[in-house]
Amino acid sequence: MKRDTRLAWTLLAPMLIVLAAIALAPLVMTIWESLHRHDLRMPWIGRPYIGLANYATAAADARFGAALLHTAVFTGISVALELTLGLLLALALDNVRRGRGAARLIVLLPWALPTVVAALVWRFLFESPAGLLAFDVEWLSRPIAAWVPIVLADVWKSTPFVALLLLAGLQAIDPALYDAARLDGATAWRRFTNITLPLLRPALLVALIFRTLDAFRVFDVVYVLTGGGPGTATEVVSLYAFTSLLQDLRFGYGSALSVTIFGVTFMLALLYIRALGAPVAEDA
Amino acid sequence: MISAVRRATAGLAGALLALAACSHRPDVLTFSGSVLGAEGTIVRRQIDRFARQHPGLTIEVRATPDAADQRHQLYVQWLNAWAADPDVLQLDVVWTPEFAAAGWILPIDDAVTDADDFFPAALSADRWRGRLYAVPWFVDAGMLYWRTDLMDAPPDTFDALTTIARGAVADGRVASGFVWQGARYEGLVTVFLEHLIGFGGRILDDDGRVVVDSPAGIQALTFMCDAIHRTRIVPEAVLTWQEEQTRFSFQNGRAAFMRNWPYAAALLGDPAQSAVAGRFAVAPMPHAAGRSAAALGGAQLAINARTRQPEAARALVRYLTAPEQMIERAQVAGQFPARRRVYDDPRLKDALPIPPATARAIVEHAVARPVTPVYTQLSGILQIHLHRALTQQETPAAALHAAAAAMRRLLDDAGLTAVS
Repeated sequence: MKRDTRLAWTLLAPMLIVLAAIALAPLVMTIWESLHRHDLRMPWIGRPYIGLANYATAAADARFGAALLHTAVFTGISVALELTLGLLLALALDNVRRGRGAARLIVLLPWALPTVVAALVWRFLFESPAGLLAFDVEWLSRPIAAWVPIVLADVWKSTPFVALLLLAGLQAIDPALYDAARLDGATAWRRFTNITLPLLRPALLVALIFRTLDAFRVFDVVYVLTGGGPGTATEVVSLYAFTSLLQDLRFGYGSALSVTIFGVTFMLALLYIRALGAPVAEDA
Repeated sequence: MISAVRRATAGLAGALLALAACSHRPDVLTFSGSVLGAEGTIVRRQIDRFARQHPGLTIEVRATPDAADQRHQLYVQWLNAWAADPDVLQLDVVWTPEFAAAGWILPIDDAVTDADDFFPAALSADRWRGRLYAVPWFVDAGMLYWRTDLMDAPPDTFDALTTIARGAVADGRVASGFVWQGARYEGLVTVFLEHLIGFGGRILDDDGRVVVDSPAGIQALTFMCDAIHRTRIVPEAVLTWQEEQTRFSFQNGRAAFMRNWPYAAALLGDPAQSAVAGRFAVAPMPHAAGRSAAALGGAQLAINARTRQPEAARALVRYLTAPEQMIERAQVAGQFPARRRVYDDPRLKDALPIPPATARAIVEHAVARPVTPVYTQLSGILQIHLHRALTQQETPAAALHAAAAAMRRLLDDAGLTAVS
C-alpha cells in the first residue's frame, strides 16, 4: 500500500510541478506584487511594500465598483439568455430527423468564429450611421444602449456552445421514460417539466458554470465594441484590470484588481462545484 | 536609488523583453521608431547615408508599433528593465518629461546649437527641469479644414463657425456641420485643448496647478456638448470617431468643417479617392474669448540613458534633425519640419500638401499639452470625464470638477504637487 502511494506521487510529480510552475507561481507572484505600490510610469517612487493598501483603494474606487456591477448585470442577463435560447435550440436539434450533422455544424458556426472577429462584425452592424442594425440610433455612444450590441454579440456567440452541451444531455435521457409517460397520458409540457428538465439538470449546471465564469471574465467583446465607453459606462472588471495593468502600467494596483477578480471567480466556481457535486454523489 | 531587487522584478513582460535585449551587440547602434510606408523609406535612406559617413558603425532599425499607446508600453517595459537598446528612440511629443523624470533618457542640450530655429512649443515639450532631453523631429498641429465651395472665408470664431455650419446643414448641402475626434482616447484631449485655449482656459497653470475646471474650461466643454446636443452642428456619431472616421466623413463631402492633423490634406487632395479634392482649404482653429490654438503633436528623438555609445547616438540625432534631413523627410513623407527657417526653403512648396506659410502660421499657434511626467495618467482621467460630459452622463461643470479633483490627487500621489 505504501509503495503504491509512493508510486502514485512519483507519477503525479511531473504534472504537479508543471501545475505549480504555470498556475500557482504566477498567482503567488501576482499576490505578492499586489502588496506593493509599483507604477512603472513613476519609477522615482520605487516599489515600497504597502500591505493591503491597494485593496483598500480598490474597495473605495467607484470605477471598480461600477465595473463589478456592470460585469454582474452583464453576466446575469447574457447567461440567462444563452441558457434559454440554448435549451430551445437543443430541443429543436434533438428533434431533427434528417440532416442532423449538417444542422449541428451550422449551429456551431458562431462558436467557431474568433471572438474579436465576431465583435468587429457586430460593431460594423451597429456603428453609425451606416450600420445595418443601427436604425439611426447612436448605440455605442449611449450608456444603456451600448449594452445591447455587447449582450447580443455574446449571446450570438455562446448560445451554440450551450446548445451543444444540452443536446448531449438530452440524448443521454432514456427514450423509454418518454414512452412510459406518453402511455400514462402525460402532455408534452408535463413530459418536459417532469422528465427532461430534472434529468437535464447536470448538463444545465455544467453549462451554467462554464458560461458564468466565462461571462464574468468577459473582455474581448467589450474591448472591441465599446472599449468600455461611453465614458466608463460599459467597463467590465477584466477591462479595468487590463487598463490599469497594461495601459496605465500600475503593476501593484492592477495586480490587486486581478487578484480580486480571481477571488470572485474562484468563489463562484466553488459554489457551483458544490451545487453540481451533490446530485452526482447521490447517483453514485 | 533603484535597488537590484526592483530591477529584477520590473514585471514579467519587462523581464522577458530585457532577456531579448541581452542579445544586443555593443558595436551596433539601434534606432527605434515608425518604419511603415513612406516613413520607413525615408528613415532607412537617411540612416544608411549616416552609416556610410561613419565607417565601422552598424545601425539597426528596430520597428515598433505605430499605435502610440503600444509603443509607449513597449518603451516603458524596456527602459524599466534598463535595456541598453534601442539607443535612439522616437518619442511622442507628450512622453519626454515622463522618460526624463524616470532617468531613462539622457539630457542632450549639446545636440542642439540653434535652439531658436525650432518651434518654441515643440522645444518646451522636450524640456524637463531646465534641461533638454529630446530634439523635435517633425511636428503635427491640429487645424480646421473648411470647404471653399460652401463659404468665402474660414470662420475666426466658434460662433461664426456655428452659424456657417448650421446654414450649410439647413440648406441640405452637407449632412453635418463640424466633425472632430470624439472617441474616448488621446485625440479627444487634443480637440478639447484647442477649444479650451480658444475660450481662454488651460489644463495646468505655469506652476503646474490644475486649472482645467476654470469658468473658461466649463464654457469650452459646454460649447462642445452643445455642438452635439443643442445646436447639433456636430453629429453624435463623432463620440466613437478617431481621425480616420472624421476624414472619411469630410472626404465624402458630408461635413462643412473638420478638425484634423496635417496628414489628411494630401489624402483629401487626391481626386481618385476624395469627393472634395480642390474644394477645401485649411485654417487655424477658431476661438472665442481666448486665442486660436493648435494642439501640438509630432515626434522627437531621444537617447537611451543606458546606451553604450552616447557619442554615436548624439551624432545620429543631430544628423536626423538637421535642416536638410527635415526637408527630405517632408518631401518623402509629407511631415512638417520642426525647424522654422526650413519653411522658407523653396523645396518645401512642393513637399507639403498645404502652402508652407499657412503651415508655419498654424504651427506657430501650437500649444504643447501639459509638460509633466504624469501626462498620460492626467490625460486618461480627462478622457473619461470629457467623454461622460459629451455623452450627457455628467454636466460639463461636474465632469471638469471631478476630473480636476482626480488630477490633483494624482499629482499629489506622484509627489509633483505645485509649490504654492
